[in-house]
Amino acid sequence: MATETAIGASSGTTKGETGFRHWTALRNAAILLVLWEILGRFKLVAGGALPAPTEVLIRFWSDRGDYPAHILATFQGASLGFLIGNGLAILAGILFAVSPVAARLGRGLNVAIFALPPIAISPILVLTFSGMTPRVVLAALGCYFVTMSATVTGISQTDRRMLDVVRAYGGGRLALLRLVEIRAALPAILAGLRIAAPAAVLGSILAEFGGGGRFGLGAYLIGSLGRADPARLWGIGLAATAMALIAYGIFALIEARLTRSTRAVTVAATPPGIRSEGHWLSTIAITLASIALPFIVWWLLLKVLGTPAMIAKTPAGVFDYLFLAPSATSAQTRLLAALGQTLPMTLIGMAAGLAFAFALALASVVRPGIVRSFMPVALVTQTMPLVALTPLLVLLLGRGPSVILWITISVTFFPAFVTLAQGLGMVSRGALDVVRAYGASPFAQLRLVSIPASLPYLFAAMRLAVPRALLGVMIAEWLATGTGLGNLLNQSRGYLDYGMIWTVAVVSVLISVLFYQIVIVIERQMLRKRGMQPAA
Amino acid sequence: MTSQTGITLETVSRSFQGRGTVVQALDNVSLDCPAGSFTALIGPSGCGKSTMLRLALGLDDATAGEIGIAGMKPQQAAKAGLTGVAFQDAALMPWRSVEDNIALPLDVLGRKRSDFSAKIAELIALVGLKGFEKALPGELSGGMRQRVAIARALVTDPKVLFLDEPFGALDQILRRQMNLELQRIWMESRATTLLVTHGIDEAVFLADRVVVMQSRPGRIGRIVDIPLARPRLPEVFTTPEFHALEDQVAEALDGH
Repeated sequence: MATETAIGASSGTTKGETGFRHWTALRNAAILLVLWEILGRFKLVAGGALPAPTEVLIRFWSDRGDYPAHILATFQGASLGFLIGNGLAILAGILFAVSPVAARLGRGLNVAIFALPPIAISPILVLTFSGMTPRVVLAALGCYFVTMSATVTGISQTDRRMLDVVRAYGGGRLALLRLVEIRAALPAILAGLRIAAPAAVLGSILAEFGGGGRFGLGAYLIGSLGRADPARLWGIGLAATAMALIAYGIFALIEARLTRSTRAVTVAATPPGIRSEGHWLSTIAITLASIALPFIVWWLLLKVLGTPAMIAKTPAGVFDYLFLAPSATSAQTRLLAALGQTLPMTLIGMAAGLAFAFALALASVVRPGIVRSFMPVALVTQTMPLVALTPLLVLLLGRGPSVILWITISVTFFPAFVTLAQGLGMVSRGALDVVRAYGASPFAQLRLVSIPASLPYLFAAMRLAVPRALLGVMIAEWLATGTGLGNLLNQSRGYLDYGMIWTVAVVSVLISVLFYQIVIVIERQMLRKRGMQPAA
Repeated sequence: MTSQTGITLETVSRSFQGRGTVVQALDNVSLDCPAGSFTALIGPSGCGKSTMLRLALGLDDATAGEIGIAGMKPQQAAKAGLTGVAFQDAALMPWRSVEDNIALPLDVLGRKRSDFSAKIAELIALVGLKGFEKALPGELSGGMRQRVAIARALVTDPKVLFLDEPFGALDQILRRQMNLELQRIWMESRATTLLVTHGIDEAVFLADRVVVMQSRPGRIGRIVDIPLARPRLPEVFTTPEFHALEDQVAEALDGH
């Protein structure tokens, strides 16, 4: 409760400062717009690939008849997915918070859902389901992890004393949940919903990409890609971004109304149930079960849905396609060639994005003004549907490998930067004051305090960046360069090569999970040596 | 006298498994608090006084020994609504108003709140919070929150009252005031009370008996009887008898 009053007090004193900051942000935005207008009017960027804002607006106005149907379709998919995904996520979160064994069992499934690049499974969903279902599923998947982990964090961080009061009157597990934990977790859950809202929009748009439906912003974007009309592409991209931003804003408002608490702007990237206790035999059994569970769920889903075996490949089916069937050698060759193109790009893009984010976050310690002017931009791009950005980058950068790199950097940079900047902001003033009191230079402060203290956040940023990097590379490959896994997926879709579609989906999820696990192992080793805790 | 509403601990031990070591938080402790008595537990940090309270509340299980609350096991007594508790920090729920926080034990025990509305109003008056019924804890001062916690502890008319450093977070002046109020409340209700405290003066002022504990392993060092007449007035703090009793407790704390 002491912290609550402290927050209330500090927000009261900085009112003038916020007003000033609003004004600066407005001024910066105005400068940016004017600059953009000049660049667009005189076709200074890539021969007119960047149209002026007024041109985009004029085009938007003449297209105004098209938008309502597309926006409505995307909204339907996204909102239904949002409801289902978050409903399941909150229930799962409660289950995981209450039962550590369930959390450890569900870990494999949770990591798989966190790490899966949505674009990789969108063709599968389109094949297996019809109508709105693929959009709903992808939107729901986009929401699940964020809200589930927020619920678990919220419940497990409930003030122990409040729990003791209820238990002291003989309250059982249900009374604890009903009277304390769920209510105490509400701010965290709402923060999760806020981040999940744009994710649902992104999920729906991604499914529309490969879905072949008529309506939806994603379908509109794909349909307009072939026509040399940058102004329309920008219009659609901005409309999608606006939709995600509005979704984010609505939940930010509800949250502010209900809780008045400070808010986290990043996604947690740790699934619950990482700690293992008890006998080593039961630990191994639970770990194995947790790894097996995603495959069992996959197999069961197909059995329940009754999709024909030709289209829907079970784990055994994928194994058969890749190793046993007559065409296995050719499939392996194509897959390995694609991996040879995708993996280096993913690693280079991710490393560059992280390095850039780390450098800027450290610079912002020395000059706090950097964060202040950069954070709003970072927040907007966090909620921006990545796919809406891709065609625009293609227009600006062409279809060479550089576009892959830029897209990957742009999707990994911002979440990493936000995580790192927040982490560095939490470095204790006291620790900095100690070295300052001995006259340490800004560089020495970084070396002695800020960099070592930010290590947990660097790893959190890496965990966050892994699946996003692969998603970015695959989207760029699919839409722009025609190389690697993304292209293989798109081609197989065209050839109705079901085995390869499933194989690419499974391989990309496995790679993502593998990278994620590698980061976790290194993180645990390095942090344990330094006696530090992982950051959420 | 150890009958209906007393607290009894019989050769109670509680140990915790550390990293390869075993910490003996309580070692073979026996204590008998007769019905209607006021007992204060005092001792250095780590002497097991909080552990003892948690065991008596049923929040934790003893490694060995028996604990009886009004002749029942702690959890039974809690479920029967015989006990009341106030913790060191008020542990109020920030989303519940003063009234709702006081009514929390009723919600846990599944009692109808409407039957207790008069009781709640009376308690709010008793702790001097009239007019703050609908206030949220965030809008109250630290002392006011602590008084809400005291009212909450009393809402079920407990026969056994546990107080875990309930005034630890308050300043000395407010603390004196709260001590006087607590004595008045206790003399009206005559609940068997176990108070965990760090303050020698507080212990001597409030209790019939001060149980001085020692650490490593946690055990009872000495029991000092406080024969001062009640009601004890603020003036008692300055009397020579009071100082002599304080000195006895302080000596026992030093291990003499």
